[in-house]
Formats: sequence, structure tokens, C-alpha cells
Amino acid sequence: MREGKHLERMKAWHASRPSIERFLDRHFVHTAVLPTFLVMVCVFGLPLLFSFYLSFTGWGLDQPLFAGRFVGLANYDDLLTNSVFTKAIYITLGYTAATVAAQMVLGLGIALLLNVDLPGMRIFRTALIVPMLMTPIVGALCWKLLLDPSHGVVNQWIGDSVVWLGRPDTAIYAIWVVGVWQNTTYVTLILLAGLRSLPSEPLEAAAIDGANRLQAFWLVTLPMLRPYILVALLLRTIFEFRAFDNVYAMTGGGPANSTMVLSMYTYLVTFVQFDFSIGAAAAWLMLLMSLVLCVVFILVIRRREAL
Amino acid sequence: MAAVIGSPRMRKFESALVYIALTVLVLIFLFPVVWVFGLSLKTRDQVFASPPIYLWWPTFQNYADVLTRSDFMSAFINTMIVSTCAVALSLGIGAPAAYAFARFRFKGGSILFFALLVMRMLPPIAVLVPMYLLFNKLGLATTRLSVVLAYTTFSLPLVVWIMRGYFEDLPVELEESAWIDGASRFAAFRYIIVPLARPGLVAASILTLQLAWNDFLFSAVLTNNATQTLPVMMAAFNAGDSGMDWGGLTASGMLVTLPVILFSFVAQRHLVAGLSSGAVKG
Repeated sequence: MREGKHLERMKAWHASRPSIERFLDRHFVHTAVLPTFLVMVCVFGLPLLFSFYLSFTGWGLDQPLFAGRFVGLANYDDLLTNSVFTKAIYITLGYTAATVAAQMVLGLGIALLLNVDLPGMRIFRTALIVPMLMTPIVGALCWKLLLDPSHGVVNQWIGDSVVWLGRPDTAIYAIWVVGVWQNTTYVTLILLAGLRSLPSEPLEAAAIDGANRLQAFWLVTLPMLRPYILVALLLRTIFEFRAFDNVYAMTGGGPANSTMVLSMYTYLVTFVQFDFSIGAAAAWLMLLMSLVLCVVFILVIRRREAL
Repeated sequence: MAAVIGSPRMRKFESALVYIALTVLVLIFLFPVVWVFGLSLKTRDQVFASPPIYLWWPTFQNYADVLTRSDFMSAFINTMIVSTCAVALSLGIGAPAAYAFARFRFKGGSILFFALLVMRMLPPIAVLVPMYLLFNKLGLATTRLSVVLAYTTFSLPLVVWIMRGYFEDLPVELEESAWIDGASRFAAFRYIIVPLARPGLVAASILTLQLAWNDFLFSAVLTNNATQTLPVMMAAFNAGDSGMDWGGLTASGMLVTLPVILFSFVAQRHLVAGLSSGAVKG
């Protein structure tokens, strides 16, 4: 009896609520996801599809949207036979590999140091993440001033006037240094979180079995840290592949295209030369390259979750 | 926690080594920032003195000059408006979606989540090209709204990723009891779950704020002189005639980057949690 009464009260209460709320309740999941879905489709999906179409046409900004002349693969052909673009692919891949490698090694080293249980570690950690937190363009401008040929402190110290950012053989290394300086602690933070979450028993067992510290590190800590290392590696690869700000602020892609990374090239073609068709093709080639990275990343995560 | 093992004397020696190594690293990592901060406190003659001056009576004239420049103040206000709107919008849109991903299995859910993941991986420039065309045709280019939309889109994957992790960690019994008490799903989310997930919301806000405040590329393409944000103003300052005004350049650089650094320090715990949960939980 009492239950029946309760049920009736519930029904009455439900009936009294405005119908829009009941509608929201019934379709809660879809209502919750809809805005995200709309943003993804409208700001992301449709423009991307349009630029895919654009990459097969010759089109100018003054023309109506679909008035471009169909040219097949000509845009892609132009790009892939353009020595500046193909060189940009090599520069981007080389820069990414060199920067990520340095960030990983240095980042792991710093994480191991910070993981030692001593007072004051928080202060060191806080100080070390400053370059990562700085506005990237400001960080790059700081380095530009340090490397200034006539007034920069680096040249004043070595007593020379090397035009660091104006020489094809030094500019890319300068940008590499800034990249490593900025984001090494990104790796550190991820690996530090990993180190903190590792169980201590395997290390204790290794110590009992007579492993020395180096063996314990190589054979116990490092294998256990593997998933974190993979995540840091892949995230950094994805982020360095799109490097733009430092190049823009320090060299603008020069001298003699020696720092022309793919992002910079696409930017120049699209927003300086206003060639949207070639720009769209370059953008899509970049997309394809990073999709490959992305698939690898997701496969790795999937496999780790399945384990 | 790796404690230092060994005899007391050995331990002391090793602690000293760790401290020395970290001190050297901090000196190297902070040198560029500290040096540039020093430049911002020098007069023009001191900036260009050779050999460099290491000890001087600091002047705040550069900061006073920058803060009275109208273009700096308008860029500062633009950045504030754009970042705040981007944070509010991406949390408002992303948090409910993250909740749905965390709690409900629904048709197309995993595809949508996968698509979000892919979005995070794509290089911004590749997305910016078509985005610019869209905004241009809609007449939105050079408005603040266009950058807000761009930042919202780019931070959505991050917000959903982080918030999903936080929502999953909350016990499902919380909502179930609220539902039984007659709360609608929305009410349970709004009044039970959101308050409990506040640390996650803070982490997601910080990361979105960082993204919006620090971004250069989108703002460079999607704004004009009136709507530009601070990083764009900085780059123009550097490239323009005032490129030799190192005092002004360094002072404005410090002013641009200080708010975001301070904000991240205050919430450092959340920052690390957000970064690693976003990165590791997948």
C-alpha cells in the first residue's frame, strides 16, 4: 500500500515538471553530447572536408565557394616536386626527431633527480617548469635577444659576433635549443607522475636479490616506466611535428629556407601568398602525416588498456 | 619514492650531488628568463652596454611606458576577454559531453570520442586553413568570436579527456541515489557531480586558459589590429620599427607571460594532475 502511494506521488511529481525538462531527461545523453558534436562538425569537420575539395581545385579567395576549377592532383604534384616543400618535410622530421630525443633523455634525467626524496624538491620542480609555462612566442623572443649578433649576451660572452639566426648552418640548431629548453619539463612531469605511481616492491625485491642501482634502474624501473615513456614520446612527437611559434618568431623559415618547417611553409603559402589551393594541399599532406602518428598513438594506448 | 639508500656518509654525498645537479639545471633553464627580466629593468644605454652590466640600479620606466601604451592595453583586454570566453565555452560544452562519455554507453559514442582524440593530434595550421575560409565567408574573420571558437574547438578534446577521467573516478552511487530521490539526470549532474569534480574543472580551465592565452597562430591569422591578442602584439612589436626598443620589448614580454605563469603556479597541483591524467589515462 505504502509503496503504491509513493509511486503515485512520484508520478504526480514527474507530471508537474515542465515538459522540456522531461524531454532533456529522456534524451540526456544526446543533449549532453550534441554541442560538442556540433562544434566538431561545424568548426572542424566541414571546413576540413571543404579544404580537401579545395586541394583538387584552383581557387582564389574572391571566388564563390565552389567556383574553383578542378585540377585533379596538380596541386599535390606541384608541392611534391617543389624542392622547398620536400626539403621542409626532411627538416620537419629531422627537427622533430632531434628535439624529441633530447627532450626524452634530458626529461627522464630530471625526473629521476626530482624523484629523489629530499627536502626542497618542490622548489626545483617549480623553477624548472617556468620555460614550459611561458608564452612560447615570448620565450622565443627572449632567445632571439640572447642570440642577437651585436648586442646579445651570448656573443658578448664568447667575444664574437656570430649571426646565429642568420646562418643556414646555425639557425636550425638555435631553434632546436629553444625547443628543448621549452618542453623538456613536459616530459619530466609525465615521467615524474609515472615514477611516483610505480610500486616499490619490485625495487625492494631487486635490492634483496643483490641488484646494484644501475641494474635496478635498467631492469626494473625503466621497463615499469615504459607506458609513461611511450605516452610522453608520442605526445612530444605530435607537438614538435607542428612546431611553428619559435620558427616564426626567430627566423620566419629562413635563412635560405634552412628552418622552413611544414607549418611555416603552409602558413606562408596560405596567409602570405594567399594561394589557398596549394595551402589546402599542403595542409592535407601534413594531416596525413600526423594521422599516421595519431594511429600509432591510439594503437599503443589500446594495446596497453587491453593488457 | 626513491629514497637514497646506503651508509649515512654516502647518503649525504649523494644528496649533495643531486642538489648540485638540480641547481645547475635550474640556472641553465632560468637564465634566459632572468636575463631578459634584467634587460627589462635597464635603461637603453645599460641594455646595449658592452660588456654587459651585471649590477645596476633597476628602473621601472620600461614597464611604465608599456602600461601607458594604448595598443598594449587593448591587446591585454582582448586576451582577457578571449581567454575567459574560451574557458567558459569549452567547459560548458565539454563537461556534459565528458560526463556522458564517462557514465553512459551510447550509439556512436566511441566513434565520437575517437574523433575527438584525432582532433587533438592534428596540426593546428592544417585546421586553420579551412577554418579561416569558413570564418571569412561567414564574416567572422577579424572578430574576437572567431578566435574564441577556434580555441574552444582546440581545447574541447583536452577538456573532455580530463573531465572524463575525473567523472569516472566518482562513485556512480552518488547519482543513482539522486535519481531515486527524483532528481533529473541534468539536476544530478549539475548539483551533485559538477561540485564534486571541481578539481578537474580547475585543471581543465587552467589548460584551456594556457592554450588561449599563449596561442599565437590562430590569433595572428584571425584577428586584426583592433582585436589582436598579446602574443600577436609581441611579434609585431619585435618585427616593427620598435624592434630595437629592447626595454619596451622585454617589459611587455614579461607582462604578457607573467599572468599565465602565476596562475599556473597557484594551481600547480592541478596542472600536473591534469597533464598526466590527460596524457596517461587515455
